Amino acid sequence: MTVNKRKKPASVNPIKIGQSLGAVLALQGCYRAMPLIHGSQGCSAFPKALLTRHFREPIAVQTSALQEMDVIFDANRNLEEALNIVLSKHRPDIIGIVGTELTDVAGVDYVTMLKSYKRERNLRGGLAFSVVLPDFRGSLESGFSATVEAMMDELIQQVGHRGSRTVNTRQITLLPGSFLTPADVMELKEMISAFGFEVIAVPDISTSLSGHLLTGFSPLTRGGVPLDSMLQSLQSGLTIAVGASMERPARRLHNALGTPYKVFSGAMGLKASDELLHFLHQISGEPVPLRYCWQRENLLDSMLDAHFQFAGMSAVAALEPDHLYSVSGWLEELGVEQKALISSFETPVVDGMEREVWVGDLDDAEVLGKGADLWISNSHGISGAARIGAAFMPAGFPVWNELGAYMSVSVGYRGAMEWSNKAGNLLMQREAGHRESSIRHR
Amino acid sequence: MDPVRKVDFDSEACGSQAPKSKPCPRPKPGEAAGGCSFDGAQITLLPIMDAAHLVHGPIACAGNSWESRGTLSSGPSLSQYGFATDLNDSDIIFGGEKKLKESIDYIAGRFAPPAIFVYSTCVTALIGEDMDAVCKEAGDRLGIPVVPVNSPGFVGSKNLGNRLAGDALLQYVIGTGDPEPEIPLGVNLIGEYNIAGEMWDIEKLMNSAGISVTSRITGDARYKEITWAHHAKVNMVVCSRALLGLAREMEAKYGIPFFEGSFYGAKETTYSLRQMAYLMNDREMERRVDRLTEREESRLAQDLRPYRKMLKGKKAVLYTGGVKSWSVISALKELGVQVVGVGTNKSTEDDVRRIADRVGDDTEYIPEGGASRILKTVRERKADIMIAGGRNMYVAMKEQIPFIDINQERHKAYAGYEGLLRLAKELTYSLANPVWRLAASPAPWDKGVPYDR
Ligand code: SF4
Repeated sequence: MTVNKRKKPASVNPIKIGQSLGAVLALQGCYRAMPLIHGSQGCSAFPKALLTRHFREPIAVQTSALQEMDVIFDANRNLEEALNIVLSKHRPDIIGIVGTELTDVAGVDYVTMLKSYKRERNLRGGLAFSVVLPDFRGSLESGFSATVEAMMDELIQQVGHRGSRTVNTRQITLLPGSFLTPADVMELKEMISAFGFEVIAVPDISTSLSGHLLTGFSPLTRGGVPLDSMLQSLQSGLTIAVGASMERPARRLHNALGTPYKVFSGAMGLKASDELLHFLHQISGEPVPLRYCWQRENLLDSMLDAHFQFAGMSAVAALEPDHLYSVSGWLEELGVEQKALISSFETPVVDGMEREVWVGDLDDAEVLGKGADLWISNSHGISGAARIGAAFMPAGFPVWNELGAYMSVSVGYRGAMEWSNKAGNLLMQREAGHRESSIRHR
Repeated sequence: MDPVRKVDFDSEACGSQAPKSKPCPRPKPGEAAGGCSFDGAQITLLPIMDAAHLVHGPIACAGNSWESRGTLSSGPSLSQYGFATDLNDSDIIFGGEKKLKESIDYIAGRFAPPAIFVYSTCVTALIGEDMDAVCKEAGDRLGIPVVPVNSPGFVGSKNLGNRLAGDALLQYVIGTGDPEPEIPLGVNLIGEYNIAGEMWDIEKLMNSAGISVTSRITGDARYKEITWAHHAKVNMVVCSRALLGLAREMEAKYGIPFFEGSFYGAKETTYSLRQMAYLMNDREMERRVDRLTEREESRLAQDLRPYRKMLKGKKAVLYTGGVKSWSVISALKELGVQVVGVGTNKSTEDDVRRIADRVGDDTEYIPEGGASRILKTVRERKADIMIAGGRNMYVAMKEQIPFIDINQERHKAYAGYEGLLRLAKELTYSLANPVWRLAASPAPWDKGVPYDR
């Protein structure tokens, strides 16, 4: 409907996150990968610390460690040095060079540099690509999808030389958006394969950031989709993108290889899950597996149980665009009033929403969401929620105040049920707290 | 274009005691770890709790870093707000000074903080923003101090950033105010950031010996108490070599004697308290300190007994990024834990000497970061536990090595006598946790033993 922006010069309690962090996240979902941030060392240290805190996993990332003089004279010398070291010491299968605001403002041309580097070193077998991600545009979500797109592009170019393509109609490429947890990706993979398809998720954080216990330390990513599966994914008969931000990489595959694609803007809540399962049922010709029929009933039953709890309640949500879209749809189904919806930046999907959306920060959530009962945002929102007296429900990135947040499911019937129960419980606890304090005050 | 800082400046980044001939090594591309100077500056100044901290630059620097420290406040929380000018491309092309000015005005108008710290970042430094001028103009106009912190990430390491923040305090804050008459003058604590509330334990201890804290630089500080820091009688530099320059400068300028000390371990704590009383030149106070430390030490010895038994002969690998190494070694030694490997990544020669004084000859020095290097030491030296920063925590978990977090993000306070007891307990709980045994044993069906009905 409308996208607004509150008028204030500074960002106060930002939800926006540097795009390069999205790139690092995307690469964590690829096996034996190394994201290499072309910038000063803080630009890799902060994302590393933040991702570690959220996923409670070691995070693979390196930096070209630019210092002031390097930026002024020859930033690419550092990049070359970093590439030499990373390639000779760790031999990654995939290396993603991620530009930062600094290299962009300084006008460093690392795209051309990487091309000639690859030519000179005769780099074969692996996948090396670069992606330009200035901070003043987008956020985590756009950094993530742009990286997947750049990676797909490089894959297509590599395979381009290898002649014709045989299409495997029983194989689906899944492009999961940045707002999905490892458990979400796992659930989606399961749902699609329950209809008899082979699924290749690109990237696949469900096998890298979900808490495995592989021993033998490596500074590269452990788990994630291997390069050969990624190459194989080019043979898929269909691409399924979850999250509108993943449409671009899907379209890239379509334009280059003719792979048809289907975008699900979200997969959260009854309607969205219905749509996904109905679609899978139709294209596979298989019946919907019994367990999903069961789960659908379970969800409806729990929604009936919970609707007393949600009646008359209102919520404020501050999330990345795709996530906000999904969460808003889910709140709609619960009959919760949506007091304020805040997005980190503007995308076509938030533009097209039926409700009013604000592009802003957590301070806007606090001002516009005043009086809301439930607050949904990343962990930075805890104190804002406390100030307006709303129950705080952690979601998005980063979440550090809840164990196992990265394993919570939001997609499918199971996810909707988990979220509804969680939100309902938080509201119940808040109510009990209120009752307590009113007794004490007498 | 002029560099923001002269290159030779960097040679002192590791602490002023480092000889000029051996500059801080340049971070190695492809192998670098750790934060930038902007990060370091924030670590030093964010614990000034009632001030607003505005990051001047594109969103990533602030968006990825706010609320990442475990520094606690006993009251105001404005410093926990994330403020950013969040520059967009046209700001960068046409200059962000206007937006900076408007942001300062906005924050001053809405939050009425006693002061605003403004941090430059790589991009604003690169495009040559005149932050000092904007801050000065705004400060004069608004009637509150607006302090520029010129510590963009690309000038160097986190340590250098600590120093540059110290310089900003010296230049703009210390010496600009006077304490209220009823405030007793005593000691400034420099480089203590109240991680997990450690400052509070220390202050309690000092108070019971009758020593008062004049300024906290900067754990749980209020802005105005730093303005009168020059009235203190003694400066204590708490385990942060990067701020040694600040203490030195205050000695030269205001004649305040300083010493370096630590509160990790009973011995170090006692030494620090004694040193304070000694430098205050107060015999009565010295006697009080002696009585207090004796009492505390003997009580601690009692309390520690069961844990000492558990910890005796256990081996630890310590990797804290260098600065704290020697003081934590003392604490561990008192518990009977042997340090078999220690990080000297950012330590100066002076630090290394202190480390050498405290460990045995067969302790391995780990000069360079990298999780694999630390793990190798743990393996080779058959260490029982790894003590390091949060970044390496999950590396240890994957390898099923007991771990204690010692850095910025931790949640446990280890300073003072109470702190040592807490450390002993943490170490014991960690080592004795059943999870190590469970994680190490295979699933029943992998054991090859038939099911026993
Ligand atoms: S290195 Fe520079 S751009 Fe990167 S986080 Fe630090 S100050 Fe910001």
